[in-house]
Amino acid sequence: MDLYEIRGGRLGVIAEEAELQELSRESTAMETYNVGSPPSPTAAEDGSDGEEDPFKEGETEGEIILIRDQLQEKVAEMESFAGHLEEIFLTVEENFGRQEQHLEQHYNDVLQTLSQRQDESAARLEEEKKSKLEALYGQLLACGQALDASKELIETAQEVYRSQDKRLLLKTVMPTIKRIEEFAKDEVDLTLSTCLEFNTPLADLSDVKTMMDSINVVPAPSAPVINPQMPNSATQTSLRVCWSLFSDDTVEYYELYYRPVLEDTPADSTFTPQVSKVTLKETHCTVADLLPNAQYELWVTATNTTGISPASEKALYMTVPSPPVIKQRECSSCPEAALIRWESGNTNPVDSYTVELREMGADGTESSITESIVAVPTCQCLIQLQPGQRYLISVRAVNIGGPSDRSEPISITTTGTFFYLLEDTAHPCLSISEDGFTIFYGDEELPISAMALDDNTFTRCVAVLGDLIPVRGRHYWEVEVDDGTEFRIGVAYEDTERNSYLGANSTSWCMRHILSPSRHKYEFLHNGWSPDLRITVNPVRIGVALDYDRGTLSFFNVNLEQHLHTFHCHFQNYVHPCFSLDNPGALTVHNSIEAPEYTFI
Amino acid sequence: MALTLVSSNKCAGGFQKVFEHESTELKCKMKFAVYLPPKAETDKCAVMYWLSGLTCTEQNFITKAGSQLGAAEHGIIIVAPDTSPRGCNIEGEDESWDFGTGAGFYVNATQDPWKTNYRMYAYVTEELPKLINANFPTDPEKMSISGHSMGGHGALICALKNPGKYKAVSAFAPICNPMQCPWGQKAFSGYLGPDRSTWEAYDATVLAASYSGPQLDILIDQGRDDQFLSASQLLPDNLIAVCSEKKIPVVFRLQPGYDHSYFFIYSFMNDHIKHHAKYLNA
Repeated sequence: MDLYEIRGGRLGVIAEEAELQELSRESTAMETYNVGSPPSPTAAEDGSDGEEDPFKEGETEGEIILIRDQLQEKVAEMESFAGHLEEIFLTVEENFGRQEQHLEQHYNDVLQTLSQRQDESAARLEEEKKSKLEALYGQLLACGQALDASKELIETAQEVYRSQDKRLLLKTVMPTIKRIEEFAKDEVDLTLSTCLEFNTPLADLSDVKTMMDSINVVPAPSAPVINPQMPNSATQTSLRVCWSLFSDDTVEYYELYYRPVLEDTPADSTFTPQVSKVTLKETHCTVADLLPNAQYELWVTATNTTGISPASEKALYMTVPSPPVIKQRECSSCPEAALIRWESGNTNPVDSYTVELREMGADGTESSITESIVAVPTCQCLIQLQPGQRYLISVRAVNIGGPSDRSEPISITTTGTFFYLLEDTAHPCLSISEDGFTIFYGDEELPISAMALDDNTFTRCVAVLGDLIPVRGRHYWEVEVDDGTEFRIGVAYEDTERNSYLGANSTSWCMRHILSPSRHKYEFLHNGWSPDLRITVNPVRIGVALDYDRGTLSFFNVNLEQHLHTFHCHFQNYVHPCFSLDNPGALTVHNSIEAPEYTFI
Repeated sequence: MALTLVSSNKCAGGFQKVFEHESTELKCKMKFAVYLPPKAETDKCAVMYWLSGLTCTEQNFITKAGSQLGAAEHGIIIVAPDTSPRGCNIEGEDESWDFGTGAGFYVNATQDPWKTNYRMYAYVTEELPKLINANFPTDPEKMSISGHSMGGHGALICALKNPGKYKAVSAFAPICNPMQCPWGQKAFSGYLGPDRSTWEAYDATVLAASYSGPQLDILIDQGRDDQFLSASQLLPDNLIAVCSEKKIPVVFRLQPGYDHSYFFIYSFMNDHIKHHAKYLNA
């Protein structure tokens, strides 16, 4: 494989493609130019045609822009295509390199095996030769001995024959003749003990053969290595999974398997979640359509012509949670702080929450700086803020997969104290307006069934508590009533007796208005006791100022800026604003008001 | 008008002084007490005028009322004049404790032999403020008035008769309706003569009924165990009724267990000073 050829070939492809692109681009351009005249197949030449024709004012402006946009698109496409091709080049080079190496090694192995065989065969032949030679040599020796024996016999016989001594001759001639006879009877084995031919058995080259064969066969890949989850790569419904090959395997395609990990494993493992599969060529994948805040098990196999690799290790990934939902009616604030409460937004628990805040400028512009409070363990957070500012606060849920999207923000203004009413403390006869700030005590009798079975509601006093932020400092709010409303307004501890009247116990302090036939009466009640007071102008807008540090709770006629009364008490715990209506009527709470100067002299 | 320093004592970081001068309205030497808070050394201060009750001099208030700490905290000058002209040698002036010496009732007398000297109303509303503003670091726009018993009556009528002049007004156990009580009837008939219509100009309850001017905010403390309350000398209910009618803002506090004495005044002086400070320092 000649790289340059490949390259050249591909380049050739590009060139063609590029031409095609150009042609197509020009033709579309031409199409728009030639309004009225038909588009020509070899558009390049006809370029001039359209120019004179429809340079109609206005229309061409738009067309030009249209063309420009199209061209820009085409350019972008081309660029991405070129980038793609580069990638392919690199991959091909890599693959080639690997193949080359692979082959080299393979052939080396084969050669090694062959030479090994050769050595073995040679050694065997040596052995055979040696043994044959030995055998022959042995035979030779035997022959030699036999020859010697015969020679000796013959000499003896000759000697006997030549001997003059006839008597000796007669004595020895008979045994000697016997010996000769016997000797002659001896068969002389003249056959070769060994064969002169060498046995060359067929070399067993079967394994070499398989080796050679396997050169052409690519081994099945080994198990890929799946990466652990990268931070911030997951979204609520998708996961980005990456893996890599353990070795220089050639791979046709990968198969990614995934299934959700169930929270509780059922007793009978008959219900197992379905395993989904994705087939792809890349070493990464974005799996979509998943559930938020859920754990998934993923593994991958690689496949080539030879077969499928074993599965990779199973990796556990987690999708990012759904964004939380801020509970608007359960948030409160004061000049120095805000308390934000939210719902998780996820059925399963998340690891923590991150609260983000941005200051809003007076002109409505958002600050570019976002302050974040991380690792909030529960669904509420008390945040320190600067007085007299406006903030946008949102929350994200966080798990191992990363943070969720931002929740819908809540706007907090640190002017004055702001709170909603604790609606689940409201006496059943009390109804609360849509916006949450006006309470009504209607005339109608409520059915017994509506009477509270809830521990938290007031049962006798038609009252409700407010959700004041638990910050010790100064708080101020105003209450709007009308002349005829009999009310009690003030503060109470959160656990004030629900079956008692505001001001009648030691856990509440309130200003009370009583309407008698002759006049208006005002009391400032705590523990059932009130100072004796007369107020000549009936307040219709009452300012309530609470100062934890000084231990004071003061009441004012806001319209007259007139001080009415101050309770002095060291509040051991946090208190809540309390409101009740002693006869049918209504009152409205106003907050987020900066405390007037005179209220905290 | 020359002031002669009678005494000076450092008190609560400031100075409690007593001066004497020759009064043009009262045609005699008069003493008055002035408390100068620390703030007066560097800045102009608001002034609260305190009118004492029957039998008092300029001394009672400064020694018994416990006003100096509050005045120092809020940076207020407190001026406490005497309760009547002294040493005029008028016949009968020392006969009763509730008429004549020590019982000026803060009116401008029209009857002989009182009319020459007994012009406490003019003294308190005209001469004294001029004198104070000329000799001390005051803010002439920031004046308020308060008092006890007869002085309470004086404070109320000064405020009601001079709409806008006093930025704040308060009283301790005031005589609210002098025309209807023995004290008032005795004093008015002596100083103003038998024509009750002339009395109306010095009766807080009557004045309230026809008051028109900038909004007032009146704080009144009254001891529940005050013998004079039960003796119907004070009659706060009458004032309250009129103020309720006329929508004049009043907060009237009936304090259980308290009597008519300076012990009572001492107990609530801080609340009153805070009340004045709210308007004087605004």
